[in-house]
Amino acid sequence: MRLIRVLLWTLGESDTLESLLSQTMLTWQREIASCAGLAAELSKEERRLRMFSFKGFYYALGRRKVIEFIIFSVFVLFFYLPLLNLIMLAFSNKYEAPALFPQEWGFKWWDYVLGQKNLMSSIILSFVIAIVTTLLSMCICLPAAYALARFEFPGRKLLFLSFLLSDAFPKMGLYVAIGIIFYKLNLIGTLPGVLLIHVLNSLMFMTWIPANAFRSVHRQQEEAARDAGAGPFRTFLHVTFPLALPGIIVAALFTFLGSLEEAQGTMLVGFPQFKTMPIEMYGIIMQYATTAGPVFSLILMIPTIIVLLLFRRYLSAENMANGFKIK
Amino acid sequence: MIVRKNHLQRWIPYLFVAPAFLLIMGVVAYPILNVMVRSFHIQEEDRYGLDHYYTLFTSKIALNNLYYTSYIVIITVLLSIVLAYALALYLRFTQSWASRLIGALYLLPRFIPGLVAVNAMITVIRDSGLLNRIALAFGYDIKPGLMFNEKGIILMNLWFNVPFATMLLMAALSNIPQSLIDSARDVGAGRIKLFVHMILPLTLKDVMIAATFIFMSNIGSFTTPYLMDSSSPQMLGISLFTQFSNMNYEYAAALSVLMFFLCSLSAAVYIYTNMRDKQWEK
Repeated sequence: MRLIRVLLWTLGESDTLESLLSQTMLTWQREIASCAGLAAELSKEERRLRMFSFKGFYYALGRRKVIEFIIFSVFVLFFYLPLLNLIMLAFSNKYEAPALFPQEWGFKWWDYVLGQKNLMSSIILSFVIAIVTTLLSMCICLPAAYALARFEFPGRKLLFLSFLLSDAFPKMGLYVAIGIIFYKLNLIGTLPGVLLIHVLNSLMFMTWIPANAFRSVHRQQEEAARDAGAGPFRTFLHVTFPLALPGIIVAALFTFLGSLEEAQGTMLVGFPQFKTMPIEMYGIIMQYATTAGPVFSLILMIPTIIVLLLFRRYLSAENMANGFKIK
Repeated sequence: MIVRKNHLQRWIPYLFVAPAFLLIMGVVAYPILNVMVRSFHIQEEDRYGLDHYYTLFTSKIALNNLYYTSYIVIITVLLSIVLAYALALYLRFTQSWASRLIGALYLLPRFIPGLVAVNAMITVIRDSGLLNRIALAFGYDIKPGLMFNEKGIILMNLWFNVPFATMLLMAALSNIPQSLIDSARDVGAGRIKLFVHMILPLTLKDVMIAATFIFMSNIGSFTTPYLMDSSSPQMLGISLFTQFSNMNYEYAAALSVLMFFLCSLSAAVYIYTNMRDKQWEK
């Protein structure tokens, strides 16, 4: 809260940069000091003096806390500074060279971007393709995943590995080769062609993650259902499938998000007819890197972030790591 | 489980795998085979030969590109693994506000569209970018000098791959039972001993998996060098793009096959570690 208030205050009447910087620094330090439970012990002035030098900072908080603070700062600066900067750029009307913060905030570029008439149709097209791709990929891959997980048969490992193939060959070479074949088959510029490219990119995750999820369902649980009189199909539907569902959801998410941002292959196979969201936006992001680009970038990121937030409890490291292992 | 093995049952797994397998064969294996055949074709004289491969391994430019790419990829793999391992250890063995927050935040970069991320990074690290402006605000004119050379690319690669490797290693580390670690501590193993003799061997397989996938995804990387690199030397992905745009299809095919071969080498390491582990488990 305090931080927000300070930010609002500085936005409202920031005359110099120094005031903003020192104010934020002070707030940070206050936050940290209160974290360490020092707030009660030190008077305001004392605290200020202590925290200003690194040494004082170090001794006031202890080695562990300081190291932790440094790790956290480096992490946030490296991974989130670019994204935060993007947000700042997206909401700045005027932002000229030497200044750290924009001279004028506003929604100028949002108006420009949202005024593009192809934008909505390309977003809808992208979502339709992503949903169809996910369903199609599930229909094709889940039986394979189940078989790879539950049956021991000659060639199992080899089949498992064959799904690695699309990742091992350079994507561009593969797309061009596919493009040539699609051209002969008249699949260029058609929906099936585009869908094939999108499904192809999902094959590995859609088999490996669910296969590992199916495999970690205990056979005894299935057998118990069978003993109680359930047929194989019912056992699968009521026992195996629900238990493997987290893995399947993660695979579906990977497929969905992958399809939403796929540009190279779609461009090659479906270009003039199928202008998906990334194709529509990539050109603009590259051309207007600091003006309309950030707005498009944020729009591209929004679905990703919403999906990740909605399904965050399934996205454990464990579930995702299954997409890269053979069991 | 007792399964009556009649003919039908023996074919069920193959039946289940068939659609996905046929798709892989049709949309991946067959095109790859086509590329391989084409890579031996010499368009001008309409004959087959090793000429394109010969050029790949003798021309100074091609060799430079190969060295340059290998250099970037190897540094990326090593740095990513080391940093990700440190981060994963920290996340696994520390309970604090910082580790919890990082644990919630570290995965997002993995899902950010490549082009968006690269452009965002460029707005920060280019010579008139955010870093420079922050430095100016303090009265220094520091030019980071990270654009149009391999430093920026490696930095960007780390941005993408450290979260990925951390995710794999976190999964591996959380599979080590706490009781095992406690018992090792009880018999007097210090931190270093614990790490070298227990944690590292137990996660070595996952380190190899992470390294393989980082290697494979970076050998052919395109977006990052396309937006960040200078024009020479080129990374292989860019070189491939240039060759395709110049309609040197056969030469580009040979280059693809070379990249495929490099990926296969790392995949072989991966398969070897996976299989060896399997035998040990049995």
